Amino acid sequence: MEILFIIATLIVTALISILIKRRGFIEFFSIIASGIVLFESIVVAFKVSTAGTYSPFIFFSVDSLGAIVMLIIACVGLATTIYSIPYLQQETAKGIIGFTRVRQYFVLLNIFLLAMFLATTAGSPIFAWISIEATTLSTAFLISFYNKPSAIEAAWKYLIINSIGLLLGFFGTLLYFTSVSPLGGDGFVSWQALAINAAHLDPLIAKIAFIFVLIGYGTKVGLAPMHTWKPDAYSKAPNSIGTLLSGGLLPVVFIIILKFKAMTDAVVGPQFSQHLLISFGILSIALAALIMFNAKNYKRVLAYSSIENAGVMALGFGFGGLGVFAAILHLIYHSFVKGVLFFSSGNLLLKYNSAKISNIKGALRVLPISSTLFITGFLIVTGVPPFGIFLTKMQILSVGIQIYPVSSIVALFFMTLAFIGFLKHITSMFFGEKPHDIEIGEGNIWLILPPMLLLIGIIILSFYIPPFLSRLMHDAVSHYEYD
Amino acid sequence: MNILTLQFLLEIVFGTIIFLQLTKKNFGAVLAYGLQSLAITAILFGSFFETSNLFLLFIALLVLFVKVILAPVFFIKLIKKHELTFSGSTYLNMPLTLLIIAILTFVAHSQKFTPLTGILHADQVLLPLAFSSMLLSLFLLINHKGALSQIIAVLSLENSIVAFTIFAGLEQSPTLQLGILFNIFIWLIIATVFVSIIYKHFGSLDITTMNNLKD
Repeated sequence: MEILFIIATLIVTALISILIKRRGFIEFFSIIASGIVLFESIVVAFKVSTAGTYSPFIFFSVDSLGAIVMLIIACVGLATTIYSIPYLQQETAKGIIGFTRVRQYFVLLNIFLLAMFLATTAGSPIFAWISIEATTLSTAFLISFYNKPSAIEAAWKYLIINSIGLLLGFFGTLLYFTSVSPLGGDGFVSWQALAINAAHLDPLIAKIAFIFVLIGYGTKVGLAPMHTWKPDAYSKAPNSIGTLLSGGLLPVVFIIILKFKAMTDAVVGPQFSQHLLISFGILSIALAALIMFNAKNYKRVLAYSSIENAGVMALGFGFGGLGVFAAILHLIYHSFVKGVLFFSSGNLLLKYNSAKISNIKGALRVLPISSTLFITGFLIVTGVPPFGIFLTKMQILSVGIQIYPVSSIVALFFMTLAFIGFLKHITSMFFGEKPHDIEIGEGNIWLILPPMLLLIGIIILSFYIPPFLSRLMHDAVSHYEYD
Repeated sequence: MNILTLQFLLEIVFGTIIFLQLTKKNFGAVLAYGLQSLAITAILFGSFFETSNLFLLFIALLVLFVKVILAPVFFIKLIKKHELTFSGSTYLNMPLTLLIIAILTFVAHSQKFTPLTGILHADQVLLPLAFSSMLLSLFLLINHKGALSQIIAVLSLENSIVAFTIFAGLEQSPTLQLGILFNIFIWLIIATVFVSIIYKHFGSLDITTMNNLKD
């Protein structure tokens, strides 16, 4: 019932945003809807943590990892909605956008959230694929939101690359169906049915299918070398959408890959998928670290950081054992910290009217709170102690060093390089003399509150994991770890 | 539907993709896509005649409406509106394009992909052809510079996957097929809108003119 309520709430809010012509109402309903969605997600998470997989209807099924991802989307979604209101108000005041654009934004934002929830709760892999495709369609216009040639170009690149990726993922998905319908089945095939029948898969088909799934859905995650759309899309979309793409969509697509990994492991053993995940993971970390070093746009730096962290998660899931637990925890921290970074960088953008690193000087004096948030976010995301990501990265590498020492050392080297590259940009942006035409002072308290709350969330979760979340995580590890 | 008819329909799909690789005119490309979709629809009608499932008939009719009628109409309107007679050029010249087509077709028929192309023993002749159609559609997308050609390449890849799944016996439940078709319909609208926006901003559909994304 809760899932239906979430879906209905988001659909109604999208409709309200289309029909109502008063901006205040649209903003109010969007916040209320995000609040309701968060409440219902917590209820679902509690149910899953106490009673296991929650499947109120045939079309929906939420396991422990699904419940964690639901919580992530709901938290990041609420923070995004709250942040979007003052952010878009300031852009309207500057004459960058008008009411029509604002309305379009809230319609697409709610549809995007809806598509992510549907993909997470889908009971069938085809239903999940349809929902993931819907996220592409809803976000294409959010990337081209500012209607500039570069934004159109980024959106087109995003649309074509992701559509091709998802079609390949669709093909891979269909190949898994050979285990349940060798002679042409036409019933509703659920994740559970596929998992139960996975043993009937031809091992070679399972391998080919997983390659297609990993390349297809990996495109959406942004794993290298299928990452090319990501820096462009992140740099052209509104900052709040960058948060959702990085903090919300990435985990949603990752759990779909993991579900297929579990099936493949059941047929051919864990080594095949492990090697693939480790290869893609290292390539992502290396490429992101190298390009990040010479980036000229801070929103692109955040995109490369997302690619790097997707690589870290792939490594964790690839290494297995304790690495899986660390990767799930990393997934949570990363989603929250990307909110902190994108929101605080949005404040920089509003103040300096530029996303170029060379145009940002002395930000710590100009925007002391936002800058502190950004710098703290940088320290967290690059794995500086004592924050949680330091522990997850160390845990992943300590598992990896025992089984794949060379890969772990290479990964550690490029993670360090990513830290140095990011630090170089931080020193250039936040210190030094501010430009004369930039006034000192934060804009609006509501532009600071969402990243601050997310930061508090990460700090708390770095030292204390609530029992229900801990139960969900341990259950997810036992489910997705090959034994 | 007997195997020869199915083979003929699949050869139409394959042949239209070859034509799409070689044609320089958008109108011809749209007609080729329409013909390709008609062949897919005929295969779907074949499934209906075999099973007598009325929902399958409904799906086949919807496919006919969306892919054979609506999509070409959208594209032709777009071509007329912006006078887009010629499609964007290709990255590779004609002889190289033909060579790659031959290599990809050979690869799809090779022993390496036997597990994939031999999923259903009865359709062992048809599956390699469907798989090579998939590979050629991917190549079509990579090799063409025109935005409209890229849309047709994505839709062509989707048609090839549909053909493969039918011959491999992996058809989905009608409800899910409806969902997939709805997705494609929305994708089609959004992609067409984007083509118009691209033309408005860049004065051309040649994607090499889009070079605003610099770091």
